[in-house]
Amino acid sequence: MSVGPTMQDAMPSYDPVQRAETARLRAETRLAGTIADFFLDADARLDDRTRLMLAQVLGAIVGAIEWDIRRHAARLLAGSGATQAGEAILKAGAGTVLQRLTRAGLLRDEDLMDELIARVRHDLIAASLPVEVAEPDEASLLVRLAGVPDSVVASAASALLAAESRRRVANEQGAVGGSELPAELHHRLVWWVAAAIRDGLTSATRESDRAITDAAQRSLAAHDEGERPDAVATRLAAALDARPNELAAVLVESIGDRRLSLFVAVLAHALGIAFDQARAITLDPEGDRLWLALRALDMDRPTIARIGLALSEADPRRDIEQFADALDAIVSIGVEDARASIAPLALNRDFRMALRALARTERR
Amino acid sequence: MSLFDPSTESPIAHGIVAPNGSLSFADPALIALNQRAGGMRGAPLAVPQLATIVRLARRLGIVVSRGVVVADDEADVDLWVRAQPDGENVRLTVSGWREIAAWRPTRPAPGAPDDFLGSDTDWRWETDAALRLTFVTLDAGPKHGFDAFALLGQPLTAMFALDTGTDGTLPILDSLARRRPMTAQPARLRSSGRAVTLTATVRHDASGDFAGFVGTARMVVDDVAPPAETATLSPTFTSGLDKALRIPLARIVANADSINAQSDGPVQGDYADYAADIASAGRHLLELVDDLVDLQAVERPDFTLLPEPIDLADVARRAAGLLSVRAANADVTIARPPVDMRVAALGDFRRVLQILVNLVGNAVRYSPRGAQVIVTVTRTESHAVVVVADKGKGVAPEDQARIFEKFERVDPSEAGGNGLGLYIARRLARAMQGDLTIESAPGEGARFVLTLPADSARH
Repeated sequence: MSVGPTMQDAMPSYDPVQRAETARLRAETRLAGTIADFFLDADARLDDRTRLMLAQVLGAIVGAIEWDIRRHAARLLAGSGATQAGEAILKAGAGTVLQRLTRAGLLRDEDLMDELIARVRHDLIAASLPVEVAEPDEASLLVRLAGVPDSVVASAASALLAAESRRRVANEQGAVGGSELPAELHHRLVWWVAAAIRDGLTSATRESDRAITDAAQRSLAAHDEGERPDAVATRLAAALDARPNELAAVLVESIGDRRLSLFVAVLAHALGIAFDQARAITLDPEGDRLWLALRALDMDRPTIARIGLALSEADPRRDIEQFADALDAIVSIGVEDARASIAPLALNRDFRMALRALARTERR
Repeated sequence: MSLFDPSTESPIAHGIVAPNGSLSFADPALIALNQRAGGMRGAPLAVPQLATIVRLARRLGIVVSRGVVVADDEADVDLWVRAQPDGENVRLTVSGWREIAAWRPTRPAPGAPDDFLGSDTDWRWETDAALRLTFVTLDAGPKHGFDAFALLGQPLTAMFALDTGTDGTLPILDSLARRRPMTAQPARLRSSGRAVTLTATVRHDASGDFAGFVGTARMVVDDVAPPAETATLSPTFTSGLDKALRIPLARIVANADSINAQSDGPVQGDYADYAADIASAGRHLLELVDDLVDLQAVERPDFTLLPEPIDLADVARRAAGLLSVRAANADVTIARPPVDMRVAALGDFRRVLQILVNLVGNAVRYSPRGAQVIVTVTRTESHAVVVVADKGKGVAPEDQARIFEKFERVDPSEAGGNGLGLYIARRLARAMQGDLTIESAPGEGARFVLTLPADSARH
């Protein structure tokens, strides 16, 4: 995304020397960016659709949090008689929070971007999956599940239908109701946004700081991690608790019903790994880890072929020919070997995050 | 050329592909398609898209089905291909057989779902194969008085009570039976009893079977008179339109042309083709802007043109000259009046040229290849007359009045034109005390006759 310096930021006053220096710095920064862009590995580059949607989702989330905080803080200040301070919070730097956070480099946070990129890819692939009708005139998987007598399964399936509809409307209209981020990422982002709002005030007072803090805390308290489609799908997968002999059918049907989140959740549940891990291996265009995972669950050749074919049809980064070449080799992997090879996926999430953070610092 | 009979719907052709990749058995349509692609009996399947799917199905060992577009003679054909491994062989089922027309700047055919996801709809809904709702625009619920969340997973009929159409049939049944878009299905909202109109396209699954509807609902607004047809467009409207559209459109056309010509460097092939489509659509819009500006002028009650002495034969020669390149591209020749011919008439030079360019342009467009368009100029006692004759398919008597109406075209599916040209031409001719008429019979070409007052001061 492009967030260059604005003219106001670059030139507080008209000083030719200062101006020339600023221009030189700007040219250098720009050159560095262009060089980095040129040498970027093609595989690492986002395609245009993903890039556009990522920018939309990021902008919408930050915007939603920003206005949530501004509105509530202004209401608090106006309620205590500080109407002017309240108006200042509504106006000062409105709409520039995304720019400020981007320029400060805060949004380059790997955990946040990892989550958002995965979410955007997941939604794009899910929307492109080919439909597969199991039986003519039979209701689709999720609709059937919403009508089963087991109320735990039925309510989770209804909740997933609703959560996915909400997500689709948000994606199509570029407006999100909430951030739908995992709690710790939401927590991080809310305080960044709050700081950027305060930073934009010309005269921050104790009262305005308190109002922003209260508004941020309110936003944190209102965030319900359990409403995210991932969480709802995970609940449904747990309620289904597919037996080994049912697993192949559930996986193939959920992908044929274009419910990628359910596929991921069922996979995660069966492997005993976290949703985000299962999502990462499902979205990975090479797919090696996904084939290993499916072998670890003792999936047969037709099941793996169907899943691979559906994902290839939906994701242009995948190479179906390579997959077809490798299929025999994949199927010949023993279940125990496959299990051993994907064992690291099952590590505790916090432990994994810590290992990753450690590796990241060592790289620098 | 179409390789199938359009009266039969979605014919299905079967075939069996042997282990060596050749068609060991196939229905005639499939054999014909393969032969036109250069295939022979016993040789591997020659249609590359089909061969790829067959190979994939064989290697994966599962059914592979996809939609593909294959070139067939001059046309592109849209096919649904299903390849099922069967022992050593692969069974091939090919359905769809829909010819894809090139992009055309015309209004959608009557009854087609226009601007499907556009702003003309109040909310959207989707169902699965069992007609159960899998998606409903959520914010429509509070607006129109239903609970979108509660409706998810319910039958479509939980949201709408379906009514029969004006002809006593249910459009949804037709749509389900024939797997084609559902248009104008009248219905009432169960929650409020208010009337809605439903439109939907059919979603197919990989085997080409019905997999659900992707639809929209529009509230029917009663008791609102249709907007009165205004006799004229206001001058400010058209001049605003002119300013607002011409420059951006010209820029779009220029940029699209340079992308298409790859003048700034190589571009992927399909993108260059899209750019050509964009440029052609842009040019069409530019013409429309010109015509609308003219329309505004000719429709003013006080519209007149100052007659000046002109040489009608000269104007006719110029019009023919302006169109000679287009005529050569279409392999059509234009016979123009002899160079030394003079016919004095009274009219506005620019407007007469505009009328003749329109007439000759139409004649070129509708002429078969190798034909001639003949432009002749004669003079009677009181009038100067130009006749533009073509050997095209002609205009039936019942259509002859209609083609001079606003936005009317004999064949709306025909590419090019916006249905304003002849209307404007006749208004212009009449504003110069002349007239524009047609003599034609179907299959015998058309003769457009432009008469103008003769300049009796000269001979």
